[in-house]
Amino acid sequence: MSNAVLLVPDREFVEELIASGGGELKKCYQCATCSVVCDLAAESRPFPRKEMIWAQWGLKDRLVADPEVWLCHQCNDCSESCPRGARPGNVLAAVRQRAVKHYSVPSFLGRWVNNAKLQPMLLVITAALLALALAVKEPVEQAMSFGEPHGFYAEFFPHWLLIAFFAFFTTLAFVAAVLGIVRFWRAMKDADAGRSPPTVGLLTAIIRTITSVFVHDKFGKCTSKPSRKTAHLTAFYGFMALYVVTIWAVLDLYVLPRFGVVAMYPFDLMHPMKILANVGGVLLVFGCIKAIIDRVQKTDSSQTSTAFDWMFVWLLLLVGVTGFVIEALRFAIDPAAESAMVTVAYAIYFVHLVLVFQLLVYLPYSKFAHLLYRTTAMVYVERTGRSRQLALAA
Amino acid sequence: MDKKVAVYICRGCEIGGSLDIDALSEVVTDECEIELCRDHECLCNDAGLELIKGDIQEGANALVISGCSPRFKTDDFKFDGCTTERVNLREHVVWSHEPNDEDTQMLAADYLRMGIARAKLAELPDPFDEEIDKTILVVGGGVTGMTAALDAANAGYHVVLVEKEAELGGWAGKFAWRFPLSPPYKELEPVDLSERIAEVQGNERITVHTGTTIEKIDGQPGQFDVLVKANGSGSQFRVGAVVQATGWKPYDASRLGHLGYGASPDVISNVEMEELIKTGSITRPSNGKPARRIAFIQCAGSRDADHLPYCSSVCCRVTIKQALVTRKFDSEAEAYILYKDIRTPGQYEDFYRSAQDDPGIFFTKAEVTGVEVVGDNLQVVAENTLLGDEIRIEADLVVLATGLVPTSADGEGLRKLADAKATIAKGEEGAALEAAKVSFEEFKHLDGTEILNLGYRQGPDLPVLRHDFPDSHFICFPYETRRTGIYAAGCVRGPNDSLVSMEDGSGAALKAIQSVELASMGSAVHPRWGDMSYPDFFMQRCTQCKRCTEECPFGTLNEDEKGTPLVNLTRCRRCGICMGCCPERIISFKDYSVEIISSMIKAVDIPDEFEEKPRLLGLICENDSYPALDLAGLKRIQHSAYIRFVPVRCLGSVNTVWVADALASGFDGILLVGCRSGDDYQCHYIRGSELMETRSGNIQEKLKQLALEEERVRLEQLAISDFDKLPQIINQFAEEIDEIGLNPFKGF
Repeated sequence: MSNAVLLVPDREFVEELIASGGGELKKCYQCATCSVVCDLAAESRPFPRKEMIWAQWGLKDRLVADPEVWLCHQCNDCSESCPRGARPGNVLAAVRQRAVKHYSVPSFLGRWVNNAKLQPMLLVITAALLALALAVKEPVEQAMSFGEPHGFYAEFFPHWLLIAFFAFFTTLAFVAAVLGIVRFWRAMKDADAGRSPPTVGLLTAIIRTITSVFVHDKFGKCTSKPSRKTAHLTAFYGFMALYVVTIWAVLDLYVLPRFGVVAMYPFDLMHPMKILANVGGVLLVFGCIKAIIDRVQKTDSSQTSTAFDWMFVWLLLLVGVTGFVIEALRFAIDPAAESAMVTVAYAIYFVHLVLVFQLLVYLPYSKFAHLLYRTTAMVYVERTGRSRQLALAA
Repeated sequence: MDKKVAVYICRGCEIGGSLDIDALSEVVTDECEIELCRDHECLCNDAGLELIKGDIQEGANALVISGCSPRFKTDDFKFDGCTTERVNLREHVVWSHEPNDEDTQMLAADYLRMGIARAKLAELPDPFDEEIDKTILVVGGGVTGMTAALDAANAGYHVVLVEKEAELGGWAGKFAWRFPLSPPYKELEPVDLSERIAEVQGNERITVHTGTTIEKIDGQPGQFDVLVKANGSGSQFRVGAVVQATGWKPYDASRLGHLGYGASPDVISNVEMEELIKTGSITRPSNGKPARRIAFIQCAGSRDADHLPYCSSVCCRVTIKQALVTRKFDSEAEAYILYKDIRTPGQYEDFYRSAQDDPGIFFTKAEVTGVEVVGDNLQVVAENTLLGDEIRIEADLVVLATGLVPTSADGEGLRKLADAKATIAKGEEGAALEAAKVSFEEFKHLDGTEILNLGYRQGPDLPVLRHDFPDSHFICFPYETRRTGIYAAGCVRGPNDSLVSMEDGSGAALKAIQSVELASMGSAVHPRWGDMSYPDFFMQRCTQCKRCTEECPFGTLNEDEKGTPLVNLTRCRRCGICMGCCPERIISFKDYSVEIISSMIKAVDIPDEFEEKPRLLGLICENDSYPALDLAGLKRIQHSAYIRFVPVRCLGSVNTVWVADALASGFDGILLVGCRSGDDYQCHYIRGSELMETRSGNIQEKLKQLALEEERVRLEQLAISDFDKLPQIINQFAEEIDEIGLNPFKGF
């Protein structure tokens, strides 16, 4: 008996990848044109060639534990050049989608969140949870006496409730995300079987990765077509700005007052945080719209969009748009005079909260999970020195 | 018939402006004493041709036409009842040399002298007139043979189709499914040959003999007497040409133990897989349970120095077909295809694509290192896969894609076996007996493999070349074997698919038809078609040395008990190799003989040693080298004006006496130029260049005896596409001879 690895081809997994957007994967005949044209692939054992044949043989264990599928930014140079029309870019995207599902904890959420048909049901559940929170608002307030609510929407959904509600669910999501990342990390390590030992410390790897993410340098490597960098970069910074503002609002309301700073929330229009929030919102909405137009017109290099892609980009856009609508209504409506309009504003606010819930709480299961897995994979390859090799090759 | 020589010098195509035509005319009239010499501004126009025709009416019958290469205007300068000698003043003189130069003028004058010398001796061939049978015998009733038979019959020829099995159809008839034979080349096709078979059987011009073998084929093209045997009873008939379409046999899988054959009944060959497919379901031979995981090992014993070194071209498509059939039978089945390279020529790439698209068919490049039996299962172990690592794949059934072996019989080996048997039977003793015993041991495995049973001294079947295929595979002579009038087609010619085999059938049928038609006109076949000359043996002087019998590449000569050659003229391709090898010089053609060429050599005016103008003789093969020199001329590439070329039918026809004559006349060097020999030979008569190599070895021995430098005789081989190299070769040779110095025998 030799040391040969027993290979178990998995036809069903092949069929799953085909159904997840990798429809042409069987056409590959391993010429390696894809790896040659890819600016991100390393010189030795480069992607996406090896991933293509793994996909053809349904080698799920290897694919989901492969950090390199996450190094691909899907510029689709490979798909453009593929003489066989196998579209390696799409195949890697399908593998990533499948990997997110694979590491989902609990696994049923991985299946549900990515099933377009179940979206109404998930929205109803979220709405029900928020309604439940509203239902307990008054009894709890009477029992605990939190004092006067701040601001327009706080009349409807007080901050304490909002923060408690989202803190609870995002903590669950955070735990799920950590579990997913840990499983992914372990899988990468096991699959590597000690072949590429760490060359730099974890912290260095993380710093290098984050630096790279902030400048989007990998995106810029695509040269053959207008890249998706603009859309992604604006949406990315827009989201980051809004994230910072949200954190600041929580600090402003509940932490700074303890140090004698007067809470300023809700911020007025000229408050630096409000300016940041508005700029962020604009960037986010612009980025999402550009991404959608690019995908529809296929003017950029992304060729095939699956439900996995569409659901995420539309969700992000709607969060941004509803955010601006409720902001506008807050400044436009005189709560004392226009009670009907207030109800409309509250309804839109409710919708906004549902969408934010979908975005944040289901992050580990949706396409948004790429922020977890791609970053983790980038840290992993940075740590093992693979990314140095990649940089040299490029 | 009295010869009346007439010489014509064309002034067209720059000839008139580059040479002193009057001086040339004086050479003809004064020196050669030919009264009739005319020059004309354009011999090939109507006025020019009328001029010649007028002279013919006045009695001219040996024409020397000096102008363009004989490869041009061939039909214009063909005159009934006249021998025509073309002197190449255009390509070989004015286009490739300095105009109005002393040396160029001398060259042109020499070529005229040589042309006249030849014209004086060349005769018109006697008409060959024998009864020719135009029936085509097709041996083998597979797709190739049936196509050959139908095509020949539809072209109006009677065909006899002999098949040793009880049914027509061959291998294709044994299979249930085949890869597609028509566009879009994507889908499996069920095999149904019944229509084709009915078409063959129903054709009134085709006589089908099934369950029949060939006992003997005697005679020559146009006159083959065939004796066949069926169920113990024989019958005899005459045919004109033969298409051998005996097909292939699978490579012996029992020699593939390293791939698990024999270790388990579940390791089978692709032919055995066809039998499983015919049952309608794929089951494991060991236990009859369905085989759902089937590993196909490609190039099993192919492209392998220890087995078949060549690619059989069809195995990849056969495997893809079998994988698709497997999937068609059972949607749960999976096929793993481990290949060295997938080779699906031409449009069959689409067939490969359609299998690739099936999620149940898995491909990887791999070098299979073994097949192991693990419990109930088989495991294929492979390295260098594209999947990385060394891998093993579990399978219920392993199919070895074995290659095709031609069903040819090694004619030369069989002849050696027969000779050894005869020597032993004769009761010879000593060294002869020992040699015969050794030979018998070497070839005894061939006993009983005879197919055609030809009555040829050189052996009862087609001589085989590399890998036992009887065909040269050179692009210029498809289907041709080393037996005139016998053509190989289908898998016996090369490993082919059904489509190519059918094309082969058509091609070989056409070659067979050409052969009988040309025989009936008394003409040679390719490449000398139209040549009505044939070798004439002056038997009184034959010493029974058997050299001609042995050296003829086409087995033209049989021999009587004493060893005297028995000529079969229609087997002859008129290459003149027999003439070249005959030590007694008793073999000649009416327009090509030892004497004619010698006279041309001697006609050259050799300047004496004080003029310091060396003279080189070029004996140049007419097939590729002479056209190459024409091409060089067309491209105006210059070469030394010291060389005089004599075209020869084949280097093999060069008799060494010409070399002696040339040296005796004062030539300083001799250049022999012909086609390539060796495994990838391009010699139009197969062995001509090779035989010349041997003979030039002997020549150089002679040179040594005469205390002459070996370098004075040089053999060069080139392809027609090397035309640009030929002038370099000539110039280099001229320089070398210049360094060596003049022939010391000059002037004796």
